[in-house]
Amino acid sequence: MAGIPTEHYEPKSRAERWIHRRLPVVELIVDFVTLPTPKNLNWMWIWGIILTFCLVLQIVTGIVLAMHYTPHVDLAFRSVEHIMRDVNGGYMLRYLHANGASLFFFAVYMHIFRNLYYGSYKPPREITWIIGMLIYLAMMATAFMGYVLPWGQMSFWGATVITGLFGAIPGIGPSIQEWLLGGPAVDNATLNRFFSLHYLLPFVIAALVVVHFWAFHTTGNNNPTGIEVRRTSREEADRDTVPFFPYFVIKDLLALAFILIIFFAIVGYMPNYLGHPDNYVEANPLATPAHIVPEWYFLPFYAILRAFTADVWVVQLVNFLSFGIIDAKFFGVLAMFGAILVMALVPWLDTSRVRSGRFRPQFKWWFWLLAVDFVVLTWVGAQPAEGIYPYISLIGAAYWFAYFLVILPLLGVIERPAPMPTTIEQDFDEHYRPSAAHPAE
Amino acid sequence: MTFRTVTLTAVAALSLGMAASQSQAQTQTVTVPLNAPGTAAPAQTGPGTVVTRGSDGVTTVDTVGGVPADEVAAPAGATPQGDASQETPGALGGVAATGPGAAPAPGSIADPQASSADTLDPSASAMSPSSMTRSATVESGAGNVVSGTTDATAVGDVTSTGAPARLPQQPNVTEDATTEPSAEVTGTDISDTESAARPTAEGETPAPQLSQEEATEAARTGTAAPDGAPATPTPTGSPGEPPAAPKEGLPASATEEQVTAPVPVGTEAGEPAPGEAPVAGAAPEGAADGVGDTPPDEQVPAAAPEGGEDAHAAEAAPAAAHHAHVEDVDFSFEGPFGRFDQFQLQRGLQVYTEVCSACHGMKQVAIRSLADEGGPGLPENQVRAYAAQMTIMDPETGEERPRLPTDHFPTVTGLGMGPDLSLMAKARAGFHGPYGTGISQLVNGMGGPEYIHAILTGYTGEQKEEAGSVLYENTAFASGWIAMPPPLQADQVAFADGAPSDVDSMSMDVTAFLMWAAEPHLMDRKQVGFVSVLFLIALTVLLYLTNQRLWWPLKHRADRLNDGR
Repeated sequence: MAGIPTEHYEPKSRAERWIHRRLPVVELIVDFVTLPTPKNLNWMWIWGIILTFCLVLQIVTGIVLAMHYTPHVDLAFRSVEHIMRDVNGGYMLRYLHANGASLFFFAVYMHIFRNLYYGSYKPPREITWIIGMLIYLAMMATAFMGYVLPWGQMSFWGATVITGLFGAIPGIGPSIQEWLLGGPAVDNATLNRFFSLHYLLPFVIAALVVVHFWAFHTTGNNNPTGIEVRRTSREEADRDTVPFFPYFVIKDLLALAFILIIFFAIVGYMPNYLGHPDNYVEANPLATPAHIVPEWYFLPFYAILRAFTADVWVVQLVNFLSFGIIDAKFFGVLAMFGAILVMALVPWLDTSRVRSGRFRPQFKWWFWLLAVDFVVLTWVGAQPAEGIYPYISLIGAAYWFAYFLVILPLLGVIERPAPMPTTIEQDFDEHYRPSAAHPAE
Repeated sequence: MTFRTVTLTAVAALSLGMAASQSQAQTQTVTVPLNAPGTAAPAQTGPGTVVTRGSDGVTTVDTVGGVPADEVAAPAGATPQGDASQETPGALGGVAATGPGAAPAPGSIADPQASSADTLDPSASAMSPSSMTRSATVESGAGNVVSGTTDATAVGDVTSTGAPARLPQQPNVTEDATTEPSAEVTGTDISDTESAARPTAEGETPAPQLSQEEATEAARTGTAAPDGAPATPTPTGSPGEPPAAPKEGLPASATEEQVTAPVPVGTEAGEPAPGEAPVAGAAPEGAADGVGDTPPDEQVPAAAPEGGEDAHAAEAAPAAAHHAHVEDVDFSFEGPFGRFDQFQLQRGLQVYTEVCSACHGMKQVAIRSLADEGGPGLPENQVRAYAAQMTIMDPETGEERPRLPTDHFPTVTGLGMGPDLSLMAKARAGFHGPYGTGISQLVNGMGGPEYIHAILTGYTGEQKEEAGSVLYENTAFASGWIAMPPPLQADQVAFADGAPSDVDSMSMDVTAFLMWAAEPHLMDRKQVGFVSVLFLIALTVLLYLTNQRLWWPLKHRADRLNDGR
């Protein structure tokens, strides 16, 4: 695969040839695992395998959980408790599934920010990036609907708030909302369709993941230097790369095992840390929780949603210009989806021709500020919308947009990149070979 | 504001919680109270009181069956706390009298074996009555009281015959005096409980008897206390009778503003503690006792500022108030190797049965799970007897029938009833800090149990009327004012194992029980976590070594750079 010259699979035995002529599946597998991979990948390139693991974990535990779960408003909460108390190992299944979602999102954020730093979204990997964004969206939808299923207070009210976002669309909003919910409010119809979709979407994600793989196996991996693998000759390519198996398989498994230590410590000792206590109270449409908080992985965008209140001048201006069609609530919704949209468009917003942030002295600062901004938004998203918090989230949201819409386009023009190594091999050797060995190439 | 309305409604509903009158209770779908089938006037486990609350906020308290409505009454006298507290001890004595035999968990262990209906009844009646019978019984019990000597003999019996059996039952009140038994008891552990089951044969009769004696004892002590100021009797009584608790008598709830009051009391309570070591491996308990309401442990008022988050749907308190104060408590089930203390769970079950169950259901918990390993671990027949004390509407026949172990604990809903407690220990977070990040939970845990404990011990004794319902000041409640009257009074429950029954200890016990109810597989889960982590560490080490070796040629031997593949 890929344009990187490498050894390709050739059927050797008669049996292999027989199969190969009919279905070249062995070739597919072999070429997949022997993909030439830049040998200077660092530890930020492990998140892919973590994510793959998470997807499998979620699907497997989820399917078993579905065997014991009942998607009905009167029975859902109890059936979850049934899983927790009576199903063999049910408590582990559920805690693995619930915390698996958190690990999934943690890994995806690490993955995304790695891409942002090393410029992996830049040509020729835009499609990989876009597909990744689609996966991320599907993950959010899946996670959101999954959180509704236990039918606790946060499930119910979270669903009410989030579907209410669609109701904010002028004109057709309420109709859309009702269509989504299957009724005027979150109820049994909603629970049923959410369960159905929660079961469906992971397989959509799995399909997208295959396309994601396909795309980056075509372009080859990016690497910390952002320099392309030399493709002029097989020999040169071999000096820049190592086969995925066994080098990165083992390395990734090592990373996975390490991450799982932490993961299982959380599942075993504090499985509810990342959840909300209110979700152990059965849904009650008559009692609104003191304040409704989504799961932690939605908090940054939730903060952006809430940042744009009616007293922000931008909101007022837009409201005025749109003749009142775009009110503060709708503006907030637009901002939230816009925040993800600008991120998805980053391949065309970043004007710098240098991929890796390693060689972009100014970019580094802005990038790390963005990372901090993300953490701050996560924190502020969990706070009540009062006091100083709205201001903090407004600043955070403003920076988020500024980074993608202003800073990245300008930096490409202003910034003078630092000197770069010419080849991946050189980078690798500088890192690992002090001197004595022999001159590279 | 809708929120405001919801809050008020919830508060109003809760306010009636503890006051659930019999009639009210009966209107419920399910019979709430756990009472002995034998007992005539069952339903009111908690207080045998009928509380009528007028719309104007006036509360009338009637006592049914001669049961003093301590719970309701005590708080009622806002300022005259002293009185309330004094009353309680007396009542407690009564409780003790009936209670011990009844002590659901331990006490009943003996009975069930007999399995004859007769035996069951007594045990059953013993169970709930604690709170019900109270003072009335006390009197009678006292009358029966044989004498100090009798007690001694009783103790002797305990030790000689079925020491283990008793353990759970624990007439130990006397044990302080006699050193020997106490020692034995201390030595015993979970194994004892198991053994407890077998002595049943002989245990049958002795159990109830014992209980009576104890009861009488307790009654004596109890009565003594009420006569004088609660303070005075304490010193005198303490040596002979460990149930010192009653003397201290000051129900935490009744105590003045802060925890301060109980503290001195606590120290006294501390004395008996050593003698009563058997109380269980729950070391923390003793500690807690000694200190009174303020466990010195780590007073991490972690969440002080963020208390607002606590306003939960059920209790829907205005998010405003921030003086919620939850302290960290050392429970035996916390930490990587934490385990439930079986005896504590049994005591907690007793407290739940005799006190909480009047107004709180536990519908997610199957009664059969009381027999589960890692839980209270009651013997099968005892679980059956326990279940039979409650009734349920059989959906097939449409008639009331006694519950079976396969049934769940009752569902309690309706006006004045409290929220379901099945998951309460997980449905509240005690700690939120710092700055609302919840990071402190990494160290202290979620704080659900701590929250419950803090609520139970956080009454200041102040109360006020609002929108026709009485609210009680509680330092742990988000809004500062909770609708639930102080549920626990010192010595309200007599533990068969002689564990201290001051408010703090009782709330520790019931909290542990509720944690188990919310997370019955907690110990299993921790074990799975431990094994997984160990396994993964080993795997990580192996993979690390493999990885090092695999990459070594590439990283360190340039000449073989391309042969490494």
